[in-house]
Amino acid sequence: MFKRSTVFLVTLLLIASVFVPATFAQERVTITVLNYFDLTSPGAERELQEVWHEFSNRFPHITVLREDLFLEPFHQKTEAYAAANQLPDVIYMWPGGRSTTLHTKRLVKDLRPLLGEDAKYFSEAVLAPQTAGYLAELPNTMTSSHAMYVNVGLLQELGLEIPETYEDLVAMVPVLKANGLDTILMGAQDDWVIQSCLFSTIVGRLVGDEKMDEIIAGEAKFTDPEFVGALEFYGRLFADGVLHRKIMNTTYGEVNGLFAAGRAPFMIDGDWKVGNFITDTSTGEALIPVDKQDQFKMIIFPAIPGEINPNAASTVVGTGYGMSASIPAGSAKEAAAWELIKWLQSVEVQKLRLETGGTIPSRIDVTSDQLEPLVNERLGYYALIETGTYVLDSVLAGEVYLPINIGLQEIGLGLATPMEVAERTQEAYDVWKANQ
Amino acid sequence: MKKAAFWTEERRAYLILVLPAVIIYWAVMAFPTIFSFILSLTNYNGGPVFGNPDIKIVGFTHYVKMFNDKYFWISLKNNGLIMAVSLFGQIPLGFLFAYVLHRKLIKFGDFFQTIIYLPAVISTIVIGRLWQSFFSPYGPFTEFMRRFNPTWENELFFDPNLAILPVLFVILWMYTGTYLIIFLANLQKIDPALIEAARIDGATEWQVLTKITLPALSGVIVTTAILAISGSLKSFDLLFAMTGGNPARRTSVLALYMYDNAFRGAPKYPLANAISVFMVLLSLVLIVLVRITESRFGGREE
Repeated sequence: MFKRSTVFLVTLLLIASVFVPATFAQERVTITVLNYFDLTSPGAERELQEVWHEFSNRFPHITVLREDLFLEPFHQKTEAYAAANQLPDVIYMWPGGRSTTLHTKRLVKDLRPLLGEDAKYFSEAVLAPQTAGYLAELPNTMTSSHAMYVNVGLLQELGLEIPETYEDLVAMVPVLKANGLDTILMGAQDDWVIQSCLFSTIVGRLVGDEKMDEIIAGEAKFTDPEFVGALEFYGRLFADGVLHRKIMNTTYGEVNGLFAAGRAPFMIDGDWKVGNFITDTSTGEALIPVDKQDQFKMIIFPAIPGEINPNAASTVVGTGYGMSASIPAGSAKEAAAWELIKWLQSVEVQKLRLETGGTIPSRIDVTSDQLEPLVNERLGYYALIETGTYVLDSVLAGEVYLPINIGLQEIGLGLATPMEVAERTQEAYDVWKANQ
Repeated sequence: MKKAAFWTEERRAYLILVLPAVIIYWAVMAFPTIFSFILSLTNYNGGPVFGNPDIKIVGFTHYVKMFNDKYFWISLKNNGLIMAVSLFGQIPLGFLFAYVLHRKLIKFGDFFQTIIYLPAVISTIVIGRLWQSFFSPYGPFTEFMRRFNPTWENELFFDPNLAILPVLFVILWMYTGTYLIIFLANLQKIDPALIEAARIDGATEWQVLTKITLPALSGVIVTTAILAISGSLKSFDLLFAMTGGNPARRTSVLALYMYDNAFRGAPKYPLANAISVFMVLLSLVLIVLVRITESRFGGREE
């Protein structure tokens, strides 16, 4: 009896050793990814190791073929893929703006059903429907496209204080000029920068989202006094010397060094710019060293005369990763792609992004005790924002925001009046609306 | 009487030698051009091309839109300026340098040849970034000018009438070396005995240049002019790296204008196709003009 049962057991184990691993072994899957990646950013090395290599270690059955691009080449490639209907399986996306095509043509899946119960780990605000009315990408953060960075140390040297009103800011211009300094730096050679990082906030303050909703719905016009007033105020920034035309000849990367070097006490950009100033862990170097970071503050643009939304700043859910709609539902590829998207917004990855770039996590279960002063400053900055208003390129179609982008540069250069830009935008809107 | 075979060995050899080039030319040049023209007449704006029921012929609508767009004319004007710099700057300078080096009118010829040609071997994107930094309002050029006038502001890029000037300068600096090499190679083909005989007969350097060298190189000048025209019309990389077409699209060129319409904001592929077709046609017209000019006024190469 003993012998028989032993033989049976051994046979069973042998069969199990042959078939069980094969039954439970996961199918090998290859997925393609189009990733937005700034290789020059301080956190780049850590991101490669701790995000992408770590994913491969944890999920050896998934092979990731990743294509890293940054700025304009990324957007160009995205549009080319979209036009050819050959979108990669996983793609880095914006909640609108330059990713509008992916949303409106529904080239990516609705991630809400895949997220399921895990939605409880995310702040509800970041899971709100995006441009096409569904969750096309799983956002990594809530971001403010506007922040005014202040070199407090430089202001103190000059006997100046942080301005509370626009008039305070204008009063500083002659003092700064006499000291050979600019007032506000912006890396606005690319035309999206002024619209996204400054003008959207001006619109939020002077026009407000309710009026913008009416304009977007066609119930009001860009040529209405409120919107034209916002353009006129923007034009005034140049007339008052608060902004200089040379911002339009300063590249987006160049401005970082200029601000860190104290060429002006203020810089306007998105809150994400913090990531460019903090320590690069691979070299131990920082544009603004840790011991100097307490001399820098982040504020909202000072009070504007006639504003209806005090302390408003343009905010938008952050970028994230979407999944190609062409992946069959329930397939191994879909499971693998979702595994990657989940990993890219996991506690580990969001913690890393918080530490290396000051990205405010979209998850509610992420904290870190290794934050540099500037990252803490960014976290505190959100408390200053009383109202989050639209970033224009996230709520307007490409055809409509492009005349605004170019028009803002033209107003700055004196090549167009606010009314001309408003009329051109309305014209573009009418054409867009007619084609819907 | 026996009928001569059509597929003679000579014909077969000709076919084998020519067919690959013809196929490649049609696949990567002729077909895309024709296809681009067809797409420019439609409303195609992405997605499947073949069997797509939503694609409709809309005629020359996009060409009309293009001609009514002020940014098209700004881009065309800038292409014209780049072409002028290429034709009347790079080619004459390239020839002049080549002539001076060939006739050994200066010392250290090899050194100067290397220096002038060097920009041609550097990546255009690197050159674009380098000069962008140089001409930046915070760059070395501004610092240098402020040594003479401390309040000097660098208006070069944001004065709409001057913004293209730094780009033209860089284009001149960058490509003159290429023409120098082309002219130098062809000058070496002219029989030195001819020039020597002319000098013995009392010809001046100017007469040697105008009566012997230039007529002998007229074909090369046409070739360089065609290169300059096609190069000017396809200008993209340098502008993209240096200015991105900004400020306010004032340094845009046709290729950038096409790119903007295809890839920036909302894609407008039919309009982008119309622009590319216009560029091809413009290029053809200009090349024909150069050919006519050469046949009327050019000399004959020996």
